[in-house]
Amino acid sequence: MGGLGGALVVLLAAAVAALVARWLSTVLEPTTLTVPERVPFAGGVPPEVHAWNRYHIRYYVMALLFLAFDMEMVFMYPWAVVFVKEGIVALVEMLMFILILVVGMVYTWRERGFTWA
Amino acid sequence: MGLRALLGRLAAGAEVPVFPVVGGGARSQIQDLRLRSELMLVDSPRHAAVMIVAGSFPPGEVEGLLQVHDQLARPRRTIRWGAEPVPGLDDALVVSGDENRVVAAAVDAFVDLMTGSGPGEPPLLPDVDPVEWRGVGPYGQGGMGMTGGTPYGRPMAERGPARDGLELDQVPITIGPWLPSLPPGLRLHVVLQGDVIQALEVGPAPLRLLDRVDPFRQALVEPVPIAELELARARHHLRWIAEVLRIVDLAGLSRRALVLSHRARPEAGAEVRRLEAAIARSGLFVMALRGVGRISDLPVGWVARAAGSAVDARSEDPGYRSLGFRPVTTEGADAAARVRQRLAETVQSLELAASAGEARAGGHGVMEDPRGRLEVGSPPPAATLLEALPDVLVGQEWGDAVSIVHSLDIDVEAALREVPA
Repeated sequence: MGGLGGALVVLLAAAVAALVARWLSTVLEPTTLTVPERVPFAGGVPPEVHAWNRYHIRYYVMALLFLAFDMEMVFMYPWAVVFVKEGIVALVEMLMFILILVVGMVYTWRERGFTWA
Repeated sequence: MGLRALLGRLAAGAEVPVFPVVGGGARSQIQDLRLRSELMLVDSPRHAAVMIVAGSFPPGEVEGLLQVHDQLARPRRTIRWGAEPVPGLDDALVVSGDENRVVAAAVDAFVDLMTGSGPGEPPLLPDVDPVEWRGVGPYGQGGMGMTGGTPYGRPMAERGPARDGLELDQVPITIGPWLPSLPPGLRLHVVLQGDVIQALEVGPAPLRLLDRVDPFRQALVEPVPIAELELARARHHLRWIAEVLRIVDLAGLSRRALVLSHRARPEAGAEVRRLEAAIARSGLFVMALRGVGRISDLPVGWVARAAGSAVDARSEDPGYRSLGFRPVTTEGADAAARVRQRLAETVQSLELAASAGEARAGGHGVMEDPRGRLEVGSPPPAATLLEALPDVLVGQEWGDAVSIVHSLDIDVEAALREVPA
């Protein structure tokens, strides 16, 4: 069995486990909740509007920076492979690359991109 | 034995998940239940099997109580702690008497529920949608398009300007009055954008006041032993500190402060200092409360003293002056400073109680209560703090807002109790 076959088996097993758990729960305690039972709890007063709303994810700058450094790690793998062959040149090039990223990070810091909200 | 019975017996041995609903006069009673190992007080009715309804409620608040009842997970049981029945909660088990009887009743009810020997309570509110939505719209979701109509029974949030010039959704929501992460009875009508509070209004309190004897109010009209006043103050502060620690999830330290509040004797100063050191080690001041809720212009007792201003009605009292009383102050004006200030004041109160002997204070129409200056004919300090909430909380994120509310020792019931002229 190849890798794909293994993945399919895991998928199938997970699906069966989820279905069995659902079936078991309905067999052990069959309930249908009433409307007031389904209302989200906020302290005793039902919410007036739908919970689905659009708001500003202010930490997106952090997410973008994470992606930048994540990609940097991806570049480091091939660099590590050729590092011994290329020697000091590779080291200097990588330091320059990291330095450019760090300048971006300092700029983000100055612009208060790391404050959560 | 069937699988169901076996699971039920295993579940019955666990701590009883209890959701407390706190009415007038029951705040400390419910707080003391947190020391009981048989119970686990949970923060949402979804996690509870037993609801304990304690204290007094005005008749208009019954609808909200029934709503909370229906939000308990099935099977559920309600215990009414106190002699007076709550209309609508007719199936509730009425328990009057001390804490031990309530705990025993809760454990019995839970075992009955789990082993299937007692029936759970049915829902109390009718099973009807607040608005008709089923089958409306192309997919039967209650509206047209993504945001039209009332999808799944509720309208969508309206848009409004955000603080950085964008137009985003504003969610109006009423939080409280029985949310365990807010002081009991505090009902906040807030407009949230994400987790930032854009507008806030304090709603009417669902508590009925009971007549209570309080040494600070007594000291307005007649001299009261200073030792009694200061021990009451220390107990109040320790209970408050226990509540703040619970909110920031330091349950062990919270229990320690609560136990200490019961053992507040004049010689307990060293224990309070050890508690303070433990709180400092937990990182509460630095990680959770530093810079949160900076308030330097609110002239209320310890809030002002935590901002470096030495205002204290005790300085005017001859009884306190004869003991050489001088107010302690802290710098910082933030939530961390307010906790430090109260810890320092707890130690000071215990020292005063130790040195007071038979000395008395009061009888002049003015007294410093645990929150601030209590004066005949003026609103109590708790009311001033409650009034200041909207100004303090607008613009804050919700998490910080909860810390700020607790750091200000908001007590809706104390705010409602007028000072007699």
